[in-house]
Amino acid sequence: MSISHLILELVLMPLVAFLAGLLMVLMMRRIGARLQRRIGPPFFQPLYDILKLYGKKTQISHGMIHEMGIIMAVGGFVAATTLLPVPGMDGLADKGGIITLTYMLMIPSLGLALGVGQCANPNGSIGISRALTAMLAYDIPFVLVVFGAAYVYGTTNLAEMIAIQQHQGVSSWGITQMPLLALAGMMTLPAIMGKQPFEIYVAPAEIATGPMVEMGGKFMGGLFVMQCFQLYIASVLYATLFLGGGENWISFLVKIFLVVEIPMSIAFLFPRYRTEDVLRLMWKWPVMVGIIGLAMAMN
Amino acid sequence: MSELQKIPVQSETTTVGGSAKRTNPLAHVFDDLMNFCRARSMFMLHYCTGCGAIELPPAMTSRFDMERLGIQPMVTPRQADILLITGYVSVKTLKRIILTYEQMAAPKYVIGICSCTVNGGMYWQSYATAKVLKDYLPVDVYIAGCMPRPEAVIEGLKDLMDDIKTGQAENWKRYFQNYDHYLGNQQKLFGEDWQTPTDIIAEARHYGLMTDNTLGEHTALLEKHQRPLEALGMRLKNREKQARE
Repeated sequence: MSISHLILELVLMPLVAFLAGLLMVLMMRRIGARLQRRIGPPFFQPLYDILKLYGKKTQISHGMIHEMGIIMAVGGFVAATTLLPVPGMDGLADKGGIITLTYMLMIPSLGLALGVGQCANPNGSIGISRALTAMLAYDIPFVLVVFGAAYVYGTTNLAEMIAIQQHQGVSSWGITQMPLLALAGMMTLPAIMGKQPFEIYVAPAEIATGPMVEMGGKFMGGLFVMQCFQLYIASVLYATLFLGGGENWISFLVKIFLVVEIPMSIAFLFPRYRTEDVLRLMWKWPVMVGIIGLAMAMN
Repeated sequence: MSELQKIPVQSETTTVGGSAKRTNPLAHVFDDLMNFCRARSMFMLHYCTGCGAIELPPAMTSRFDMERLGIQPMVTPRQADILLITGYVSVKTLKRIILTYEQMAAPKYVIGICSCTVNGGMYWQSYATAKVLKDYLPVDVYIAGCMPRPEAVIEGLKDLMDDIKTGQAENWKRYFQNYDHYLGNQQKLFGEDWQTPTDIIAEARHYGLMTDNTLGEHTALLEKHQRPLEALGMRLKNREKQARE
């Protein structure tokens, strides 16, 4: 592969991720609206929100780390998209593999923590400490699922995993090979996406949206962009591990939107769990299911 | 009418960032796009002071659904575009409203809901109520009624949307341009030593919105009484230690 081809892929992959992420945010808001018997936002609403936030005339910065934190938060996810193979584009997936990706997915939360820390708002500090605790909660089952998948496929290379699954058809998909691990992954997915019932850290009425309390203008815009990437990456990773990736763009998009749709439909029906309950729930059920699934997969 | 004439009006419109000098024809295309996005995405901070707040949940939820117009609630002034003041404003509340308003990021808009914000409404004779909201803050849209129905609230918000789309909703600039007038009214109510943590004069300078009416006798009074902002001390009450001593 020539270097110009690689650069083109590195530009296109985050762009595709952003566009798909915008649609996912729209879908999420529409699902919420329909479940509450509302009409929901218009088609371009996520884009309007982001453009408006970047176009605010007052941009209140609390210092260098505040700005760097947002760049880390978005940049971590942008880097992660280049490690996730999509149909026709592998990017850095051959070189990175799933372990690098797992590390990359932690950078945004840490960047956000740095940025929020400099705002020195007590609500923000409470929010980010809850967010990091939630990360601790979902990372155990997440790593378990990733390890199980890597063990079953015998590789940490995401492109190879897709090739194995696509070579042998649906019977070799992760979801038929290791259904319990897929179930544990699905239980963890709402937490990775930061959605109900695991979103106590953004409690609007209680701690004024937690980490976002001091974020206005372009900072908030950056977080909106981050949310698009967050939904995209979680769904693509799940589709890659368990649903055979994408044979072509149509099946790829159908799979990733389906993966987002399931937790979203559940999300708007539930209230929130408290932080300690998130921890208890995450370390109990998905971990238990995951360990049984791992044992069966290793058998 | 005589009340209206008292507000100093700026005859020539000053533009932020010196955009009048721009010769690039695409500059206006970008401004129009931004105005369109601003109109279609409004985050509102509802400062629920009175009974008008009751009309907002129906306007937001399934029956009238504000989100289809791109309007959604936000909880901190840093993220909000619209400050909704829903009902009578007592003198004590007004202080908080002004603090909140000054922390919001420009461009920002104020909507007064209910008759109480227009002229005091049924609290006209109250000693503790600030009657006319626009004396203290530049109000973009008033929605009169006691209380206005959700249809009326949405109609008012749509009026604001149209104003933003055509670039007419620039009342936030008036607060900087006529700060002396607004500060004078605030001082009348709160006393001479009234001050907020936000440095409005410096902000006006930053946006290029300084006019003859920004500074005046009231801002001079403010400077006389102004105490520099201090960071809050990190004092933790150690109850055990106190009990031992």
